[in-house]
Amino acid sequence: MIRDKTHNEHIEKWANFVKTNPHSAWQPQLNRFINAQIENANRFYSELSKTEEGREKIKKLMALKDAKQNAGKNQGNKG
Amino acid sequence: MLGSLDIYADKINIEQKYSYVMERLVHEISVLAEFIDGFVRIIEKHVKYIIVSGFVAIAHGRTRGTEDIDIIIEKMKKEDFIKMHDELIKNNFECMQSSNPEEIYGSYLEDNASIRYIKKDVFFPQMEVKFAKDALDKYQLKTRKKLPMTKLDVYFSSIEMNIAFKEELLKSDKDLEDAKHLRIVYGKDIDETEINEIKKMIRRLRLNDKR
Repeated sequence: MIRDKTHNEHIEKWANFVKTNPHSAWQPQLNRFINAQIENANRFYSELSKTEEGREKIKKLMALKDAKQNAGKNQGNKG
Repeated sequence: MLGSLDIYADKINIEQKYSYVMERLVHEISVLAEFIDGFVRIIEKHVKYIIVSGFVAIAHGRTRGTEDIDIIIEKMKKEDFIKMHDELIKNNFECMQSSNPEEIYGSYLEDNASIRYIKKDVFFPQMEVKFAKDALDKYQLKTRKKLPMTKLDVYFSSIEMNIAFKEELLKSDKDLEDAKHLRIVYGKDIDETEINEIKKMIRRLRLNDKR
């Protein structure tokens, strides 16, 4: 089930925009979104890593990722 | 095995190493695309691979977050893996699980667990690498494709394969939205017969459906 009506409409509108417009029309917008997300994640983890408490939190966060991955490893294709 | 906290001990002293990211912000190049290109140009010399799942949708314009890219590679001998790993290390990648390729191979890959590579001292993005483990993964590798719409020179598992996995096995909101996005973008070019055949394989091989 897709989340809600307006979210669903957004998915459809954007996908149709991608389908009906050249790469150059949507790729820069997408790149800005992706780059900002990765930048924010790296900034967050880097700030955390400055203190011992933060480093412990990073260990726990990374262990969570591992646990999630371990749980899903029989699925193969995921993401 | 997985989840050993010690393996991250030397990853958490990173300093501000955003320059890798910030340069890309300026040049309007996706950090993910550049990271993938750098990684794939190395491993393609050693092994057959496919990029699967979330990044397939993102490469087709889907706007959603991800911090890792999933790659399936053919099973390879330990000595061949070590050669590939060594070349990755020489090119500024590092494996988060261990710096010892024998341990990475024996404790993770051979156990069908994934391993993660990152650019040295940068947490994200991460490349999750795993061996093909069954007939379905081998079929994915056999039917791999370059997808011109992405403008990326890398191999993906087929659109039909990704849609089938997301609709039949994974089924989270995010996965169903990925599938919906791909269905709209590819429209009538999607092979529904192929999707249905793959879904049958998924039920048989991953969901233990005996019918």
